[in-house]
Amino acid sequence: MSWGYFIRRLFAVVLVLAIVTFAVFAITTVLPGNAAIMILGEYATPEAVAALERQLRLDQPWHVQYLTWISGIARGDFGMSLRLSLPVTQVVGEAFVNSAVLAATALVTVTVIAIPLGALAAIKRGTAIDLALGLFSYLGTSLPEFVTATLLLVFLAAPNTGPFPAGGYVAPWESLAGFGAHVALPAATLGLILMAHIARQVRSEMSEVLSSDYIRAARLKGLSERRVIRRHALPNSMAPAVAVISLDIGYLLGGIIVVEEIFAWPGLGRLLIYALENRDLPVIQAVTLLLATVYALSNLLSDIVIALLDPRVRYA
Amino acid sequence: MTSLAPNVIEAAAEKQKPALSIRNYSLAYNTLNGPVSALKNIDLTIGKGQTVGLVGESGSGKSSMAWSIMRYLPPNALETGGAIRLAGEELLDYTPRQMADIRGRRMSMVFQDPSTSLNPTIRLGEQIAEVLMRHQGLTAAQAWVEAEAALARTGITRPKEMLRRFPHEASGGEKQRVVIATAFACEPELIIFDEPTTALDILTARQILDLFNRLREETNVSALYISHDLGLVSRVVDEVSVIHRGAIVESGSVAQVFRRPTDAYTRHLIGAVPNPDRWIGVERPSHPESLIRLEKIGVRYNSPSLFQKLFKPAAAEKSTFWGARDVSLDIRKGELLGVVGESGSGKSTIAKVLAGLEDFEGNLDVGGKALTSRKEIDRAYRRNVQIVFQHPDASLNPRQKIGTIIGRPLKLYGIVPRDKITARVAELLEMVRLPADYANRHPHQLSGGEKQRVAIARAFAAEPSLVICDEVTAALDVSVQAAVADLLVKLQKDTGTACVFITHDLNLIRQLAHRIAVMQHGRLVDFFDRDDARADDRHPYTKALLDAVPVQEAVEAQN
Amino acid sequence: MRNFFASPTAVVGTTLLTIVCFAAIFGPWIAPFDPQVFDALNRLQGPSTIHWLGTDQFGRDLFSRVLSGAPATVTFGVGATALGVSIGAIIGIVAGVSGGWVDSTIMRILDGLLAVPDLLFTLLIVTILGGGMEHAMLAVSIAFAPGMARIARSAVLSVRTRDYVRAAIARGESGLYIVGCEVLPNALSPIVVEASIRVSFAIMIGATLGFLGLGAQPPSTEWGLMVAEARQYMFRNPWCVAVPGLSIAIAALGFNLFGDALRDSLDPRRSL
Repeated sequence: MSWGYFIRRLFAVVLVLAIVTFAVFAITTVLPGNAAIMILGEYATPEAVAALERQLRLDQPWHVQYLTWISGIARGDFGMSLRLSLPVTQVVGEAFVNSAVLAATALVTVTVIAIPLGALAAIKRGTAIDLALGLFSYLGTSLPEFVTATLLLVFLAAPNTGPFPAGGYVAPWESLAGFGAHVALPAATLGLILMAHIARQVRSEMSEVLSSDYIRAARLKGLSERRVIRRHALPNSMAPAVAVISLDIGYLLGGIIVVEEIFAWPGLGRLLIYALENRDLPVIQAVTLLLATVYALSNLLSDIVIALLDPRVRYA
Repeated sequence: MTSLAPNVIEAAAEKQKPALSIRNYSLAYNTLNGPVSALKNIDLTIGKGQTVGLVGESGSGKSSMAWSIMRYLPPNALETGGAIRLAGEELLDYTPRQMADIRGRRMSMVFQDPSTSLNPTIRLGEQIAEVLMRHQGLTAAQAWVEAEAALARTGITRPKEMLRRFPHEASGGEKQRVVIATAFACEPELIIFDEPTTALDILTARQILDLFNRLREETNVSALYISHDLGLVSRVVDEVSVIHRGAIVESGSVAQVFRRPTDAYTRHLIGAVPNPDRWIGVERPSHPESLIRLEKIGVRYNSPSLFQKLFKPAAAEKSTFWGARDVSLDIRKGELLGVVGESGSGKSTIAKVLAGLEDFEGNLDVGGKALTSRKEIDRAYRRNVQIVFQHPDASLNPRQKIGTIIGRPLKLYGIVPRDKITARVAELLEMVRLPADYANRHPHQLSGGEKQRVAIARAFAAEPSLVICDEVTAALDVSVQAAVADLLVKLQKDTGTACVFITHDLNLIRQLAHRIAVMQHGRLVDFFDRDDARADDRHPYTKALLDAVPVQEAVEAQN
Repeated sequence: MRNFFASPTAVVGTTLLTIVCFAAIFGPWIAPFDPQVFDALNRLQGPSTIHWLGTDQFGRDLFSRVLSGAPATVTFGVGATALGVSIGAIIGIVAGVSGGWVDSTIMRILDGLLAVPDLLFTLLIVTILGGGMEHAMLAVSIAFAPGMARIARSAVLSVRTRDYVRAAIARGESGLYIVGCEVLPNALSPIVVEASIRVSFAIMIGATLGFLGLGAQPPSTEWGLMVAEARQYMFRNPWCVAVPGLSIAIAALGFNLFGDALRDSLDPRRSL
């Protein structure tokens, strides 16, 4: 892979993130409600409010606030949580690890199942397998996470009788069994919509590849169907599949907000909802920025993987 | 049956059998509106070592024939009878598994467009080698050695290096050689060539044809050569069959079919082949008078960025790609000027400059006024210079009715009063030999040739002094091409409009043009009077182009 | 557009859509019970001949509540999408038509906004604006705009290089004519297709916001809110979460299928 390509892509990611910091800052500073009053309570004296405003630098012009904030980020300092009285880095850091564990479990499981499933449906086009996957994927993309989660809870986590706990979190490095039990339902909720989407995209990419001239040419060379599929068709439909997965990470990052809230999973999503309810600006900013960064980096990663899979991109 | 070595007696018997024999074969496709017949009672025989041409226009069923022979038909195909025998063996009886063993080993295929028929993510070497591994049981290492030899036979100078490349790293001609090497790799009995030169440039196509002729002699393979181009087929085949609407209307030796055609359609096809010696253009204007002069016209693509210009001027100059450079020529009133070149030669760039679609450097002199940039082109100029594009499908807005499309220039330039537009549109439709009620149709209800007539009518509606025809016949079938060329000449006669006719078809242009400009790599390399086309002082490139498309059997038959 | 109803996707999608739209228009009138009337004796019941889909924690008839919530859900989905598509399409068309630095500036900003997940973006905006149905709708439409803008832009770009547009430029047509008569009519179909699929996303996000307490407020019968309110009782009567939850799914499914069928019929190459 050419370095020029990589550097161009990296530069684009940095540019996107710069715009994101600006957007996040703009949105959060126009949030209604004075942060100082929210911390001190409705009945604080004006002097106390003014003092805190100074301390939080809320009295300064916005561009100064932005520069202060952005230079803090550059040093890894996201400020203090207004509600929790802890450094944002610490609060967000813990939540990030928990979310990452959930998201990775869901994504890996789904990818492993969805790609072969989609490919199979494309190969067996028009058969029962294809039809079933079609139905399933439409259903999956039409159920909001909170409905799936609620239905899963009703059927699989009824108090005393259900096989799974209704919520909470056990780290995998503490107890693998406990983690498995707790992660199953949230991961299944996230997985359903992702799986539906990824399998459908893989199927459509694979169908397109299978109807291409070079697949026809490969078959007319007398190659075995096995080689046509494995050597000619599958690798060529992988690059678009990777692109779809990286886009789906966007859905996933949105999905964890609701799923964590429902299953009481102590991750970024839950933290974000808490911070939004309490107008905890530094936390909101940090979480948003973090999620956007993860998304942008996953897109970069997918571009690199695609370049490795497809020689046309590699030498472009 | 499939891989047993035939014993001596069988071999002797097989000598008598033709390589391929098709008897009374019919094919239909199931559609929503019931079965649609694609091939009707086809009879076709290819003897050992013989090459048979199958000639037809688009939709004639010639490609269906290839798929039928290869037993590669879509699920909705319905074979309604007949026999297809490869060296006497009935292919229709074979299972898909048996067919997979025959394809690539005993019969193979060369496709129209090498850029889509090669897998973009697999090295060219592997794409040849895999056939040898599949059918001859070679190891990967042995297969690559064989592949190199196979590629060397196609005349590629450094085959070893080529094997390591990916398809996008090779030129069209090189890719087609790889496809041909693959087809010949297992020394098959029969090869089907499906328009193998159509997607290639003139000179490359010529090389591929020569290669085909050479390999055919060396290997004594039997071949079916499918093409729409009667002239081209006459140079490579022994026998020819003409297919029309799914039925073979004429077959026989080349000489017989071309000199004594019995079928009306065949005669029509032969008549439509352009003959450079038969002049059909308008009379040369008696007093040459300049209409537009191009002076040192240049067009740059991917101009360097400001950053490059400031910091790396040398690299910036290198990265500039010139679509056209230093092109100077004049267009005379009432003449037909031919512009010829291969793809990427800059001939279409010149069309775009003239039509005011491309930023340019240099001067465009019109009636004593010099235009120095695209911005200076005004509506009066635009009315005077109209353009017709190559693809009629793309040049008509699919959401507008034909009447609206043709009426638009009338309205825009105020050529006739508003209440007369409908009447004028009807006249224009009649001028291009279309029924007046077509005004109420949408483009998708018309055939390709009809759409091109509409595009021509729109250009002439503006009553221009110059019409630019950018490859207007290239996307059309041979017989339609001739009709469109005839129509243009008639309109030129009636209106006295000048015409710049851009094409890659040298034979066609020599029938129409008064003067011919030859372009190569963005430059004008030759500019001459049509009568001097064969003069000795022609540019070597012009000579090469002319030699690539010699006067053919078909054309001689016309005389 | 021909043979639209030849595909099962189109038939099922259109059927579901008809049912949902029928409920949205006539639902409140055909509901057998008052959706807000408590019935302490018949709380959390399963389906019966009187209460077709059972009752909720206050004994209210679920069938009637779902019917009376239909207009809110459909209006939300269609309204948010229409607004979002309009904003996005205008931005995208401006970018696509103007090209050059205007285009690249707009695209860079859109890239930035698209890096923030949809739901997160919506949540941020809802928090700024404060909860409630109208604000939620506005938030969803703003969150949709960047994605729509990108689709509209690419639709315009793909049309812009067509020969009939070139022909119009060569004729010396005005910019307004070219955009209005040549580019837009042909760039519209991908935008319409995307919009009809997006309605299903809007319905789901709207319901999610209702569920999180950031959208519709009690005593609304918005379906997401209904799920949230009944969650405490879901183990005693699964029907009171399942009915509104599946209603959302049906509405979303209808738009989803319809949009897909529309795309397939407009572009036969992409049919699956």
